Amino acid sequence: MNEAYRYFLIFLGALLIYNILLIRFIALCPLIGVSTQVETSIGMAMSVLFVMTMATTASWVAWNYILEPLGVGEFLYIPVFILIIASLVQFTEMFIKKVSPPLYRAMGIYLPLITTNCAVLAAATESVKPGFLKLNIPYNFSLPEALIYTIGVALGFGLVLIIFACIRERLETSPIPHSFKGAPIAFIIAALLSLAFMGFANLLGL
Amino acid sequence: MDLSLVWKAALALGALSFLFGALLAIAYLFFKVETDPRLDELLEAVLGSNCGACGYPGCEPACEAVLKGEAGVDVCVAGGQKCADAVAKIMGVEATVSERGVALVHCKGGLSESTPKAIYRGIDSCAAADKIAGGFKACDYGCLGLGTCKDACPVNAIFLDENRCRQVDRERCTGCGLCVEVCPRGLIELVPRDQEALVMCNSADKGAKARKTCSVSCYACKKCEKVCEFDAIEVVNNCARIDYEKCTQCGKCIEACPNDVIVRVKPAKEHGKAPSAVA
Repeated sequence: MNEAYRYFLIFLGALLIYNILLIRFIALCPLIGVSTQVETSIGMAMSVLFVMTMATTASWVAWNYILEPLGVGEFLYIPVFILIIASLVQFTEMFIKKVSPPLYRAMGIYLPLITTNCAVLAAATESVKPGFLKLNIPYNFSLPEALIYTIGVALGFGLVLIIFACIRERLETSPIPHSFKGAPIAFIIAALLSLAFMGFANLLGL
Repeated sequence: MDLSLVWKAALALGALSFLFGALLAIAYLFFKVETDPRLDELLEAVLGSNCGACGYPGCEPACEAVLKGEAGVDVCVAGGQKCADAVAKIMGVEATVSERGVALVHCKGGLSESTPKAIYRGIDSCAAADKIAGGFKACDYGCLGLGTCKDACPVNAIFLDENRCRQVDRERCTGCGLCVEVCPRGLIELVPRDQEALVMCNSADKGAKARKTCSVSCYACKKCEKVCEFDAIEVVNNCARIDYEKCTQCGKCIEACPNDVIVRVKPAKEHGKAPSAVA
């Protein structure tokens, strides 16, 4: 398999074929929670892209240079990755608050939420720790591959979140039976979207 | 059993914790944002429901405006005197502010009282329903009961009962006035908190038509006007109106009203702190 094609497969697999929200159902809380307005969902998607990329880079370094050489990765990866993600989020929050107050006001609420976002932990773990990834590709990932994988996951997350928010904005003015209003119809829409994404299965042999 | 693993694990996790702790501490020193300590106190002092009645996009911008001197201590219009006093105390000045009222919807005609004119199956919005042939109720002045005011209320003080007739939780209402603006029929008014006698109709239709359109309408019989000793109630445009300045809550008009349009309510006490907005 040539290099560029492998990158492409990793990216496509993370983005669509094994979409984190609709195929694997990780991080459902933001899918329901922050998808009521397109604007806020874009904010959330950007925050996740940023934190996820940083977290994966740090986790990759920690795994390959600390945990693996010491032979403690097998049972220490969760506390270490959580520590990395939480510190990064805290740092990002301080940094943004200082550098760009308007951006902080726009993203403020979502940053702390990302600390406990399962998608970030999932992406960090999958891209460094062998045996988690369901993609039909041989790995250990190198750092560029891990980054491409993570960006694919984050963009997939953002794509679905924004599509979902667009649909939910239109649902606001639709005549929905009373008992389906709010979360129930959102879950039904999520299921239908998931069906659509299932259509990507087996694309390019992934 | 290999005990060296314990040391390695402790070392790895400990070193990483130390590293991140130190990095965050250094970052804090570099990126610390100096905020006025009074800002947090002010945020506690105002109602904190981000209702926007003050004209600022939320409670935090409003409090910042107070600190900058752009807004007065009575910035939290929904909080009334209590909030103004608290804000004034923090800012070290005296406060004077007018009392905020409580929302009243001048209509009690739900589905069972009001005569329908058509069946409406459109968007759940009073403004939309009002635009189509003047609404689906025979009464052109009454509440449409689709809950536009309910959606606008930042503290959930307005709700619809089974009769699709909206009720105001007078204890919860902060008097921010957002519902007054959104009602397409101008039915909502802020009345003084201690007012007990209220007219629950807005119909400008003449007697016979008012009777036909709704079973709880004011048909301008003027009995209340005659019975009032204080000249506080007057029928204007075929509907009774109370002058809250003159009214003494004696209740004679309530007894005199043949159609139960004038009702007595419990005076709304000073409201508590609004529930803060969910993140």
